[in-house]
Amino acid sequence: MNKNLMLKNMEETQNNTGQNLGIAALITAIVTFVLAVIPCVGLIAIIPGIIAIVLASVGLSNAAKSDSPRGILLAGLIIAIIASLISFSQVFVAGKIAEKADKWPNRIEEIVDEVQKDVLKDLEDANISIKIESGDEKIEINADANKGAREKTLEELEGEDASVIDSVDKK
Amino acid sequence: MVRIRKEPYLIINIFLAGIILLVMLYSGIFSPDKDNYPVTCIHEQLTGVPCVSCGLSHSFSLIVRGRVEEAYEWNIYGMRVFIFFMAQFFMRILFSYIYIRYTETRKQLINLDIAGSSAIFLISFWHFFAWIVRFS
Repeated sequence: MNKNLMLKNMEETQNNTGQNLGIAALITAIVTFVLAVIPCVGLIAIIPGIIAIVLASVGLSNAAKSDSPRGILLAGLIIAIIASLISFSQVFVAGKIAEKADKWPNRIEEIVDEVQKDVLKDLEDANISIKIESGDEKIEINADANKGAREKTLEELEGEDASVIDSVDKK
Repeated sequence: MVRIRKEPYLIINIFLAGIILLVMLYSGIFSPDKDNYPVTCIHEQLTGVPCVSCGLSHSFSLIVRGRVEEAYEWNIYGMRVFIFFMAQFFMRILFSYIYIRYTETRKQLINLDIAGSSAIFLISFWHFFAWIVRFS
């Protein structure tokens, strides 16, 4: 009689353990699922996902031994696997981000070069005049950026090429 | 009298409601003005461009404080996700009550809960799904 009671108690304890594992697995799996679909944070969800899969698997093996219900355990396992897959897919997302991040400095450099070229092109025919006054002393710097005319004048005067002429007049 | 320990559905509901309360507590503790959130976005750190879930914590904190318009500025989907969590919180309480009160409809109730929660989840997180699929 006592032996029967003990066996019954043992079976009940085993059933409870399986059920508790199932509950833990299902809750962890649901939380993992919610975390997994949030971009960037989703990558961390792999950890609870694995925990949920382990809990559900252990629970399922216990349930198979004691022939207890497996509904919650299976639900937990399926949700955990799907959540982990979604979370794992974010590894590829991170890869794409890293790839994009590598291209960014080059792209910035290209844009700066383009802007520099545009500015130089705009200034090619410009005349720049800078006046500095300090007490009685006055300095005027004239930079004639008219490249074509400048080169022509230089060739005429000196017979050789020069790129910039700056005249400094002290008044 | 229902023994909660023998009802997995009730235990799961209690835990999920607790987790949602923790999310609300997180939003309440961390201030959007001080910007002291522990979670940072990898995408924004690497590229300088914010991702679709950037500003979600700010958005939640602002909604909790009643500054809804500012919350929209931080993350356009923040309100939708916040409503999902709030709906889930009240659903856990309501469904638990119905589960205890009307014992004969338990199976239908659980099925309705699974279907309803899945639908709300998909509607709320649809843009995040789309973003992951586009990048993957």
